[in-house]
Amino acid sequence: MAKAIDIQDLVVEFPGARRGSAVRALQGLSLSVEQGHVYGFLGPNGAGKTTTMHVLLGFIRATSGVARLFGEDVRHTIARRRIGYLPEHPNTYRFLTGRELLHMAGRLFGLPRAALQARVAELLAQVDLEAAADRRLATYSRGMLQRIGLAQALVNDPDLMILDEPTSGFDPLGRARIRAIIAGERERGKTVFFSSHELSEVERLCDRVGILSGGRLVTEGSVAELVKAGESLEQYFISTIRSAAN
Amino acid sequence: MIQILTLAQVVWLEMIRRKDFYVLFILLAAFLAILMALDLFGLSQAVTYLKEIGLLLTWIGAWILAVSISARQLPQEERSLTIFPLLAKPVSRVQVLLGKWLGAWAAVGAATLVFYALLTGMVVLRGGTFDTLVLGQAWLLHLGFLGIVTALAIAFSTCCNADAASVLTYLITLGAWLILPRVPDLVLKVSGPTQAGLMALYYALPHLELFDLRRRLVYAWEPASSATVLLILIYGLLMAAIFLTLGALAYRNKRFTHGAML
Repeated sequence: MAKAIDIQDLVVEFPGARRGSAVRALQGLSLSVEQGHVYGFLGPNGAGKTTTMHVLLGFIRATSGVARLFGEDVRHTIARRRIGYLPEHPNTYRFLTGRELLHMAGRLFGLPRAALQARVAELLAQVDLEAAADRRLATYSRGMLQRIGLAQALVNDPDLMILDEPTSGFDPLGRARIRAIIAGERERGKTVFFSSHELSEVERLCDRVGILSGGRLVTEGSVAELVKAGESLEQYFISTIRSAAN
Repeated sequence: MIQILTLAQVVWLEMIRRKDFYVLFILLAAFLAILMALDLFGLSQAVTYLKEIGLLLTWIGAWILAVSISARQLPQEERSLTIFPLLAKPVSRVQVLLGKWLGAWAAVGAATLVFYALLTGMVVLRGGTFDTLVLGQAWLLHLGFLGIVTALAIAFSTCCNADAASVLTYLITLGAWLILPRVPDLVLKVSGPTQAGLMALYYALPHLELFDLRRRLVYAWEPASSATVLLILIYGLLMAAIFLTLGALAYRNKRFTHGAML
């Protein structure tokens, strides 16, 4: 069975401030995520988490190395058929209604109209936006936008969800909803790959975590393997990042 | 194909729900109403005047709408960050480009049809008429013109922001429209590299004057032959395809780096 995510020796360089110079955002990153796992992708700001996600989603081409989703090279459109993505700031087309946005997302996945009607109704109920479904997105609050963003990430019933800081911007109730959705996806055998600074959340949800620092994966394993008894993931994270920096 | 049509539909919905089209429509209606009220040269000349100015305003309105709608599509996706959830779906960048172009073209084409209908209504109210066949041909060729303009604006917007793409499109289309028809005369008066440069421009830029049937409409001339109209439309689609291909080449490897470590 192909891995949900398979990254080998990934290097990403951005042009530097001076002509001809380059900044290395990822320095030979290798990591893999098995199908059915919830993987927490951790690291301080600027570690390269978002860059990694952007390579996986095809927004950025890697300078070298290979990235695959379910065995498909991420440079091919087909690799994105089985994924759902929630960006950190899920901005949307403000002139559309919530229902129209979900229909649009479904049509982009090629879902037939009849099946899409039912799927959209189901998702609107799941994210508690049935009452606001026919309102323009311009009138939605930040939390509502986050929820409709999550619903559009789920529209194709993805086998892999890539979530960039999924709980930022949510109130405690919204966070609980997100956690429930991630747990539900895992129960259904789906894979979730997410970045977060909420380490208690990561501890609670993830089968495995990887810690990234300076564009390299400095450690990886299950929370039980990495964190000693009596220690929290947050303490482990801070000590790992400090020792990586030295 | 379904992806392209879905993206086109979003552009269409955007045009319907924004104010640009309504503002232009109201302005056009107001200008035409003022022109209708004037009777400076007697009835027959007043109708000709109404047709001439009305068609000019229709062309200008459609031109502005075409550039403003198409030039902002891709930069707006980047600025509002909607490009990320969009490209995370199984949609290629070429499909995004084609969807945006098709949507902009269809939306502006429909708006132009409304402008023509308004003008025709005003002309009829003033006691004049348009030859239906010539009117149809004029609208079809106007669509061809809009196809080129929207493709050019979309192509520029793959590597510029919306304002820069708009300005470049306005300059090139205006230059092509006004200067290209005079190039054959100018070529005879210069020599050497200037002549070669003028000839290169003459063949590289789109001949937008071919799409303009206004005089045929205003002075009730015979309809153009169907073959000629068809050939001009094919030429228009070919030019649009060239601009879209250039845009796709620029857009293919564009890095979307918002939020990524730099």
